[in-house]
This record gives sequence, C-alpha cells and structure tokens, in this order.
Amino acid sequence: MKKIIVENLKYKYPLTNELALKGISFDVEKGEFIGIIGKNLSGKSTLCQALVGLVPHFYKGGYGGKVVVDGLEVSKSEISELSQKVGIVFQNPFTQVTSCKLTVYEEIAFGLENMGISRGEMRERIDNSLKLLGIYKFKDRNPFDLSGGQMQRMAIAGIIAMKPEIIVLDEPTSQLDPRGSEEVFKAIQNLSKEGMTVIMVEHKMEKIAKYSDRIMLLNDGEIVDFDIPQKIFSRGDLDSYGVTAPVFTKICKGLRIKSKVTGLYPITIDEAYDLVVNYIE
Amino acid sequence: MKILSLYQERNTIIHKVDPISKILYIIISITIPIIMPYKIIGLLCMSVSIILLLIAKVFKKVIPLVSFSMIILLSIIIIQGLFNGLNDIPAFHIGNLIFYKEGLLFALEICIRVINILCAFAILVLTTKPSDLIESLVRRGLSPKIGYVLSSVLQIIPQMSSTMATITDAQRSRGMETEGKLRVRIKAFLPLIGPVVMNSLINTRERAMALEVRAFNSKATKTFLNEEQNSSYNKIIKVILIFLLLLAVAWRVLI
Amino acid sequence: MEVKNLHFFYEDNEEILSGINLTFDSRSTAIIGQNGAGKTTFVKLLKGLLKPTGGDVIFNGINTKESTVAGLARYIGLVFQNPNDQIFKNKVIDEVIFGPLNIGQTHQKARENSINALKIVGLYEKIDENPYDLSLSERKLISIASIVAMNTEIIIFDEPTIAQDYNGKEKIKSIIKDLSAKGRLVIAITHDMDFVAETFERTLVFAKGNVLLDGTTREVYSCIEELESAYLEPPNVTQLCQRIGVEKTFLTVEEFINYKKK
Repeated sequence: MKKIIVENLKYKYPLTNELALKGISFDVEKGEFIGIIGKNLSGKSTLCQALVGLVPHFYKGGYGGKVVVDGLEVSKSEISELSQKVGIVFQNPFTQVTSCKLTVYEEIAFGLENMGISRGEMRERIDNSLKLLGIYKFKDRNPFDLSGGQMQRMAIAGIIAMKPEIIVLDEPTSQLDPRGSEEVFKAIQNLSKEGMTVIMVEHKMEKIAKYSDRIMLLNDGEIVDFDIPQKIFSRGDLDSYGVTAPVFTKICKGLRIKSKVTGLYPITIDEAYDLVVNYIE
Repeated sequence: MKILSLYQERNTIIHKVDPISKILYIIISITIPIIMPYKIIGLLCMSVSIILLLIAKVFKKVIPLVSFSMIILLSIIIIQGLFNGLNDIPAFHIGNLIFYKEGLLFALEICIRVINILCAFAILVLTTKPSDLIESLVRRGLSPKIGYVLSSVLQIIPQMSSTMATITDAQRSRGMETEGKLRVRIKAFLPLIGPVVMNSLINTRERAMALEVRAFNSKATKTFLNEEQNSSYNKIIKVILIFLLLLAVAWRVLI
Repeated sequence: MEVKNLHFFYEDNEEILSGINLTFDSRSTAIIGQNGAGKTTFVKLLKGLLKPTGGDVIFNGINTKESTVAGLARYIGLVFQNPNDQIFKNKVIDEVIFGPLNIGQTHQKARENSINALKIVGLYEKIDENPYDLSLSERKLISIASIVAMNTEIIIFDEPTIAQDYNGKEKIKSIIKDLSAKGRLVIAITHDMDFVAETFERTLVFAKGNVLLDGTTREVYSCIEELESAYLEPPNVTQLCQRIGVEKTFLTVEEFINYKKK
C-alpha cells in the first residue's frame, strides 16, 4: 500500500511571486526511508510541511495538485486529523517545547490530551515513547533543562506518542553538537527498524547515504532525481545543484574506482574501504 | 530553570486542597466582612487566613508582602488619624499633631481589610502550582487556548530574558556602550528592540506550527493526564465555605 | 594574544574553566569540543563579555579586566551564532556600518570598509535592501560583513556553518582563509569536523573546562583516543585512512586522492 502519494503538487506562499513547489509528483511505500537533499531554498521544508498540512492550512497561499497521506487527502483534512497519520520534527529543539508543561512526561502527554485519549492509554503510550527514545530517565525533569539532543528526542517522542505511521524530519540535527546528532540519528534508525516510514531532510550526506532507501534531489521547487543513493551520488552534476556527495564517494570519484557489482560509486565507509584498499594505479 | 511563579513546594494539607476551593475561599473571606461590617468579623477572617498560612508553612513568605503594604497602610493611618472629617475625640498626640479616635478606627478597618485580602490571595498563590490552577480552570470550561497562553507565559518570559541578554551582548560586541551614564544606557536600548521583537515573532510562529502538529486545534474533547483532586474533603470544604456565606447573608437579612 | 591561568565560574560554584594557559599567534584557530566543555564561555572571556574570576586575558598590552566591552570592540570582533540576535537596521548598509561607526571610524572610512566587507561576502548588490527580506543564510553573511567591516585584528566566529548548505559553507571557508591571509587572527567555535580540517591551521580541543589538545589541525586529528574521550569523531577522510591503516593523517579529500595516485 502506498503510504504517500503526491500528484503534481504546486505551491506559492502568500505575498510572493514565485512558486515554491513547481509540480512535484512521487510515491512512498510503507516502511521506506527517504532522504531529501538540495540546496537552501530548493523547496525541501515546503515539501515537508505539505505532507503534514501546514502547507496549505497554516500559511494559506496558492495550492495546486494533490497530496494523499495514508488515505487522507491533505488539502481536505485538518492538521489535527493528519497529525495521527504523519508527524513532523523541526530544526529548532527550543521552539518545539510547548512550554506549558513542567515535566518531560507531561510534555509528551500534550498531544494525547488534545486528541482526547484516555488516561490509561496515555500512560502506556508515553512510557513506550520515552523508552524508545532513551529518555525515560528524564521523565520528571523540566523540559528546558535538557540538552539539545535530549530536547530533540523529546520532540520526536511527543510526536510518535500520537502513533503516526509516517514521520517527517526537517534537518533535525543541524543545531545539535556531534553527540546530540548521533543520539538523534540512532533514535531515527530505531524507529525505521520498527517499521515507521521516515522522510528526512539532511545536509550530512554521509548519514543520509547510510540510512536512506531512496534519495530525492530537489532544486528550485522541482524533483531533479529520485532514486537509490548510489545512483544519486554517482551523478556528475551534483555541484550544479548545490549539493555534494558523501566524502567516501568523492574519494572514489577522484580515484575513478567504481563498485564492480553495481557499476556505481560507493557511498559508505565500508564500501569505499573495500575498493580503496585494493586500488592499484 | 526558573519559572515565573511564587509557588512554594511543601507537603501540607493546604497544598493538597484543590485550587477552585482556594479561589472560593478568597471570594468568601472578602465578601463576608463586607456583608457583616464588624471589625471583629474582619479580624476573624484575617486570623483564619494567618492560621492557614502557618499550617501551610508559607507564613514567612507573606511577611515581606505585608511589610511592603504597611508603607501604604501607615500613610492611611496618619492621614485618617489627622484629617478624617468625623474626627472629634482625640486619642493621642505627637508634638503638635493630634490623632483622633474616629480616624484611627476607620484606618484600622481599612488595614484589616487589606491584610485580609492579601493573606487570602497569598494562600492561593503560595500553595498552588500555576499549572494546577490553570488546569482546574480549563476542566471547568476555560478555553484551552487561553489556558495554554497563561501557562506558557510563565516559562517563556524567563527564556526571553536570556535571549535579551544574548542580544545585548551582540550589540555590545559591536561597540555599543551599555555601561555608564543614564543617557548612554537609554541610547543603548534602541538597537535591542528590533532583534527582540524579531526573535519573538519568529519563535512564536515556529511554536505555533509545533502546536498545530500536536493536534492543538483538534475538535475532540480534551482529556487530562493528571487525575483531578476531587477527594471528598475538597467537596466538604466547598460546602462549608458556601454554607458560611449563606449564614452571613441570612444574618444580614434577618438582623 | 595571551591567556594566563584563566579561571571562571558563574554564581553556582561549579568552575567552568580551570586554569587555561594559551598564547595565540596569527594562525587561524578552531575551537572544538562538546557542548558544556566551556568553549562559549572561553570566547566570551576573550571578548570581554565576561570578566575572569581568576587569571588574565591580555592582548596588545590591554587587559580585558580593565576595559569595557565596547572599548575592546575595536580590537576584537565576535560574530554571533544567530544573525537575528544582531540585525536591527532596515538597510543592509546601515546594519554593516553600525559597528565601524561605534568604534570611532570616520564616516567615510566606515562606508569604505562596509562596502569592502559586503564585496568579500558577495552581497554588495543587496546593499540597499532590507536585511529582513533576505534569507537566513544571507543574513548570516551580513552579520559576518558587519564584523569584518570593523577591521579588527582578531575575529571570532561562533558556529559559522550552522544551517548553511554546501555553497554557504564554501563561501565562509573562503572568507576565513582570506581574512587569515591578510594577517588577522581568526578563531572559530564549530562542531563541523570536516570544515575544521579544510580550513584551520591550528585546533584546540576543549573538554570539561580544560584544553585537552592543542596543536596543528593535523596533529590534533591524529590523537584518536583523546578525541574519542571528548566525544568527538575525526572527519570522514581521516576515518577512512585510519581504517585502511595509512600512517599519515589526511585532512581533505584532495590530499588523499593525490597521495593514492602516486
């Protein structure tokens, strides 16, 4: 069953002249891990927000085309309805803290209270989310007393407690230190293993190459390519789209060594290791 | 992290009473002395409040509050003692100034009323977590959105003050003087307004989006994680308070 | 610039920095380390925003304890992490010229410096636009320009590459190399290990309020165990080399490719 279907999505923010999204079409299957890359202002965040209904309902603006998420058509559904199908995590850990709750535990409960979930069910979901994200030990702390990485994991926990089957992450680690980033990537990997469909925008190419099933390259509001990571990063024109390949790929490109199996350049340290070690000029 | 509140964490029975009862108490302890304007009633209410504060172990925190209002009360005592229109019988004198009995008694009544109100509010403010208070109000029909604004303000304002500090540092780093004469300090204020407002607007928008995707605008009936403290003694307290009010009204009407 | 036996703690008695001794020459320097290791505090002490509770920070014969922040601003500039914490004028040129005018440059000189700075960051055509109409990464470049225009001997960057895409990072890399080539001391706090490897001559590793490692970037990146203890990972190139078992520590892709081709 296709989890996400996007048909010719077009969008223009209010008071602007140019389209932010110029006719995007693609599908995502259940359980896939999709990476989205592209230079700044290529439409990545707009696309993420179009999957959860913030585009168009929060901003208004000019909308065309169709987005269907787990059977719900986005333009015809409320954001609160969609939040049970798809969740989103943003860049800034601070502004995702509701700031009306005094403990991490209550913070996770926020979305569930809004949805009208019963108390027993609430406790179960909160306990599970906290444990899955590895922050159960912080449950009684004030949300603002956490580190950046812990805060982001709390934001993710708050979203998955609402039990969406799809989660969208818009540069979740860009404001975190290396340790925080690592914590968040591990958490996302766990979710993916549990069967969650993941859509993630990232600039850390090595990470996105490692985790993604398919990668979408966006430029200027359009999809340039949507394929497996090896194919995307083997392209020779990445520079012109303002992106770069993972370091390992760049090394192999420089040495012109491709994988004998796929005919493409390697994208992870392990693949690159094998080829480089056996390199003879 | 500091949150903006006067709540004192203690484990007394007063703390366990629900916020609505405390609000009721404030209303009653202000209304009864008005219905039965005898000084003895005022003093009685004040004593009850003080006893409750002592039980709640927060009496010490009230003293600075009361001392502050004493400054105003003292001026009332002096003015009424000297110049009240009904002054007739002198009570005592300091040098050439004569303080009259009527004025002093009138001033005393005002003092008792003010301290009474302060103490009753203190019971609410010092023994109730703001989040509990707001949650009780939301349970009884206060719009959850207003409830959210009230609770979040308490944590956002301290956050904003730390952002202000960063913004001030940024401008000082560019050579803007903030230390020194008053005129210098006022001039330093202008470059701070823009970033503070801008930051708040951006943060507010991001926060609003984060709330939306946590079903903030859901039409479902809201549920609550915390169980309501509606044990039987809370009901009894409310019944007693309302009973006292009715007694006072009856007294007034019949006597 | 010299830092002598620097100590610092806030009101709660945990000491943030315990006895730092460093001398800065004109090599571009990166400061790396976990959050909470004391990097931001250290940089604020250099800038005079905080005064040491023990020890001294001295440059050009001036001790930071004896000067106001604004007074030190003519020697040492600091580009803050979030451009929104700084921008308040509604024309780019006015924003960039604010700093130079404050530290006493003549109007003409200040204008000249501002125009040069805007050219260096590549935003000269936007000189009369409203900064709030620009994108976040452009605003970051404006905030950099407004410090560069002050022509200070020392420039400090706080997380220059956060939220930048590939092009943005390349631009900032060339700005830093350019400034360094002109003889200014450039110091930067950053988490981006690849960026450090490609840009900075010297690297300081902070951990728990102390300087754990201090040396050329190549030397520091060879000390794998110390880096791990500070929760840092070497850049990807270096990791691959270590895997292969190459003895030399490589910092950039180009270096490694050239080595392999020989």
